[in-house]
Amino acid sequence: MTGLRAAGFPEQAVRARARRGTAEVFPPADAYGGELFGSDPEGGGQLPFAGDELDQARLVPPVFMPRRLEKLIELGREPLWDDVELATAVGGFSSRLPLYLSAFGSTRAGSGDLGVAAGRQAARLGIPMVIGENMVPVHGYRRGDEAGTRSALLNRIAAYAEEVADGVGGVVVQQSTEDADSEVWNLVYSDPGTRPLLESGRLGFELKIGQGAKPGLGGMTVVGAAEAARLAGRFAVRDLLGGGGEEGEAAAYRLRCASPGTFTEEIVRQQLRFMRNNFPRARTWVKFHPGRDVAEAAATAWRAGADAVTVDGAEGGTGWAPRVFLDQVGLSLTECLRRIGRPAGCLLASGRVWEGGRAVRALALGATAVGLGRAALVAVDEDPRDGLVRLVEGLALEARLLISALGKYSADSLTAEDVWFPGAPAAPAPHPSFAPAGGAS
Amino acid sequence: MQQRDVTQADAPTEGGPTGVPVPPPLGEHLRSPRLRAAMVVQQEALYAAREFLRERGFTELLPPLVGPVTDPGGRGAKALDVDYYGQPYKLMTSAILYKQASLRGFGKLFYIAPNVRVEPPETAGTGRHLVEFHQIDVEMAGASRDDVQEIAAGLLSRVVAHVWRTVPDVLRGLGRDELDFAETLDGKFDGCTHEEAVARLAGRGHRQSPDAEIDWAGEKLLSLEADRPFFINDYPKGSRGFYDREDPERPGVLRNFDLIAHGGYGELVSGSEREADYATIVTRMRESGENPAKYAWYLDMAREGIPASAGFGMGVQRLVRFLTGLDALWQVSAYPKLPGVIAP
Repeated sequence: MTGLRAAGFPEQAVRARARRGTAEVFPPADAYGGELFGSDPEGGGQLPFAGDELDQARLVPPVFMPRRLEKLIELGREPLWDDVELATAVGGFSSRLPLYLSAFGSTRAGSGDLGVAAGRQAARLGIPMVIGENMVPVHGYRRGDEAGTRSALLNRIAAYAEEVADGVGGVVVQQSTEDADSEVWNLVYSDPGTRPLLESGRLGFELKIGQGAKPGLGGMTVVGAAEAARLAGRFAVRDLLGGGGEEGEAAAYRLRCASPGTFTEEIVRQQLRFMRNNFPRARTWVKFHPGRDVAEAAATAWRAGADAVTVDGAEGGTGWAPRVFLDQVGLSLTECLRRIGRPAGCLLASGRVWEGGRAVRALALGATAVGLGRAALVAVDEDPRDGLVRLVEGLALEARLLISALGKYSADSLTAEDVWFPGAPAAPAPHPSFAPAGGAS
Repeated sequence: MQQRDVTQADAPTEGGPTGVPVPPPLGEHLRSPRLRAAMVVQQEALYAAREFLRERGFTELLPPLVGPVTDPGGRGAKALDVDYYGQPYKLMTSAILYKQASLRGFGKLFYIAPNVRVEPPETAGTGRHLVEFHQIDVEMAGASRDDVQEIAAGLLSRVVAHVWRTVPDVLRGLGRDELDFAETLDGKFDGCTHEEAVARLAGRGHRQSPDAEIDWAGEKLLSLEADRPFFINDYPKGSRGFYDREDPERPGVLRNFDLIAHGGYGELVSGSEREADYATIVTRMRESGENPAKYAWYLDMAREGIPASAGFGMGVQRLVRFLTGLDALWQVSAYPKLPGVIAP
């Protein structure tokens, strides 16, 4: 463990799953027969925190299950939860689970060994991995240091490629405005080291338009005075954070700010078109912050041929942000999904996902897959070899249990009718934009 | 197209990144009679080009080699980085930005410009890509697309006429027939729009994206069907650089063109009317994913005013390949560097 902390996030529960995997999905087995269980209306129930609107929504199995009958006929026996198929297409890649590893940005936590360990485990799981912005302008491309070791970006790609099985997964590299100066996509696309991924259709590029933690702002990191001087040519570096004091100027902190980039509907459309024209063999992803026009933005991206649209809820993000942004800016993931309604393409959602319930609710509300960000970092911090694999095994088990309980047997068969928001207008009329496929029931 | 003899000395060897023939070792290549013939043709072609452009009042400038930015290009080609007194500079992929800037003092100018583009390795097998290449790079203040298409067509006709007048034996020795160039000599070329080209390709069962440049295979198909060079006009925005002017009457359509040679030789020229309005240039930069701050010197000049213009670049090696009828661009370059192949 590196002492990584994730306040405001169910860190201890994630660490427990990283250690014990599927065992943590259930109450302690040795308590069976000696303790009575049930929901706890006073507290957050089985969740270790009160949660947001998406956590408080409930999955609501029906009594009549025609899809279960279909599965029964297909199998010739009663289906069980482990008959649920979770493999799905994620942004043009084949994924064994409706999950992907989110970008960690250029946080110190995300760009070092933890990032490599998370990538390795994502590869073993057969799920796509997104590599965050600013890795190249901050860490360089070819070399990570004077000793000639590989850069953070190449390290992560190489570690993933070593572990991933044929035919599944994929690596998606983000580029933001500062990255464009370093031509990250060009470097990656033309690198002989990435050719196996490219030739097997498992390389993608994500246009980063925004992020959940700081909607409307660019990336921010804290750097020391020496690093600040090195980066000053490429980023705005500001002296706003104090530090130094008796230890002198060298110990002072600086705020390194990336620009958010300027986007209009036409700029988004043309940038995506440019990506598809310049890198025809790479998948094209785009990531939006939880902006109030996220539905129009997503529709624009799909029309321009994006293979995936990622929406980062305001609760998401591993990055460092001004306090006022963490609590007061941007739409929640639930509201983003509500505004988008039935997606016209592959929709990826991220923000505080760590267990199966939240993941399945997001899938039911329109997402094709959900991203693991902070949860993945904490899990590999707990156990760099198997922490993320165990966390995901627990999540996948819960997803199978929940989806089968809803009388369905694949991740893509979930619909908004599977979710109930307590306090929402009385059933059976769900929110209009959440009308299930085929119309309201 | 007639076949010419391939001498043993410069027979290609296998081993390119995608299994395509690669040039023999440089020493062998430089000794080859075929290269010698191609260089004689190239020398005459450049002589004729200079003569033609000077007659029309163009001034030849020598282009810059490095700068803080270069043509961002497209189709996945990459610029090479240079450490310039600690600043990250680029080798020129094309000097388009300098051509526009030069209009302030030179209303009609041209370069014979060396360019470097690190093309994607998969283009090694097209026969039409080299990492190092040259362009006859022309720009003309106040010109329309029609004006510069006339110059491009006249330039090609003049070059063809000149090489057949001065080195006919060399061309015949390479297996060329003057009759193949009859339609090129009159300078009356065909034309179609990008949209029509896409539709024509669809009719041949070739899937061509309506949002992109015509792909290599599609370009070859159209080129093989033609009996004379032809222009393709009106490429869609997003397929070309930010400096190609968008048609104010038809948003999304660019006032640009390619000149495609017949006989399967493909694109010889790319050109366009240029954006000269500062705010439009900044917006177009964003649309192509560029960071305007990188282009400070150019944008400062655009803010002060750059003359409206049109221009084009004619690929020297592509031109010589068309004239000589050789299979691949590396056969008409003395020091060929194929995409993805490490070469001296």
